[in-house]
Amino acid sequence: MKTKTALLPLTLGMLVAVLPAQAHHSFAAQYDAAKPITLTGKVTKIEWTNPHIYIFMDVPDEKKTGAAVNWALEMGSPNALIRLGWKRDSLKPDDMVTVEGLLAKDGSHVANAKSIVLTATGKKMLAGSSGGTGGASSSEER
Amino acid sequence: MRNPKVLATLAALLSLGAALPAAAQWWLGVPDTLPRDAKGEPNLMAPAPRTRDGKPDLSGIWNPNASKYLRDISVDLKPGEVPFQPWAKKVADERADGSHSREDPDANCLPQGVPRIGAAPAPYKFVQTPDLIVVVHEAFSLWRQIFLDGRKLAADANPTWLGYSTGHWDGDTLVVESRGFNGKTWLDQVGKPTTERLHVTERYTRKDYGHMDIEITIDDPGAYTKPWTVKENLSLLPDTELLEFICNENNRDVHHLQGGDLR
Repeated sequence: MKTKTALLPLTLGMLVAVLPAQAHHSFAAQYDAAKPITLTGKVTKIEWTNPHIYIFMDVPDEKKTGAAVNWALEMGSPNALIRLGWKRDSLKPDDMVTVEGLLAKDGSHVANAKSIVLTATGKKMLAGSSGGTGGASSSEER
Repeated sequence: MRNPKVLATLAALLSLGAALPAAAQWWLGVPDTLPRDAKGEPNLMAPAPRTRDGKPDLSGIWNPNASKYLRDISVDLKPGEVPFQPWAKKVADERADGSHSREDPDANCLPQGVPRIGAAPAPYKFVQTPDLIVVVHEAFSLWRQIFLDGRKLAADANPTWLGYSTGHWDGDTLVVESRGFNGKTWLDQVGKPTTERLHVTERYTRKDYGHMDIEITIDDPGAYTKPWTVKENLSLLPDTELLEFICNENNRDVHHLQGGDLR
């Protein structure tokens, strides 16, 4: 039983690893693996399209002026997310979410999402990120 | 890890890990052809299947364990082991920092070329007959044909993105020879160039039910001073099917890579 316990994290890692993260472009050219960001806000739009799904969300600005900044989050392809258990309507406009991702290198309000937690349910969904720590895909973390 | 019990546990857990959640099934009533253990999990370490004529059967949906090779095909080689010609080294050095990524055909939804398409992060299906193997790639919904019927490529064949492939068996290894490329593709995301003189040899060996090794030799006298070889591998992706993947539906990346707003 000890062996099983020890191997469990490895297995969960592989569950992620066997699922394809769709990246048709260089991750490192667009996103900075050294700049993680966590954003909480309201979904304003979802583009369930190839080659990447994009979600847009309003995030209250840091100065608490009441104004919101609209962020764009790049995720994996629809196929990658379907294989992760997503449905086309898993996320809807007006859903409150917390997204963990990596910032775009150009300083714009763009990030590559790694995971999304739906506030209403607390359910965490992987975003089929094409990014990892310096590589083209997190799936190389084997 | 030599302990058979530990190995068996690992195998079971690996199978568990490879199984897809029920929510990800979109076909119902699919006939089950996978070897399974007593618990019903796919046994990916079962022996590799054979065709009726005794050849290894490479059929199945395969997933590349290749993101690091997609980024840099020579990542496992030592620095300096890629035998670049001077011009090719210059091009690769200029592209290495990502500043030319907007010119990468793959980022523009154009075909990845060979062997890069085999490392693209999407599964692909081998459909095998005695005289022809068809590889259906989910990536950009592309396909390759590998003819085993003895034909040869004409010297003046029109250059293409994915080339023309013939194959033969060397024992239990499928040897695929591909030529007739257009020289537009990058071998990886860091940008190693190719020319129309590219000749790729891929050697596929299905080690067991769920694992396939590939040895790839790049022979491009237009860009490299001698042939060079790398190794990649595939895992069988059980309990899934291929899906359509039309890259050009909403490709915002090129604009973003050009310095434009992703929106």
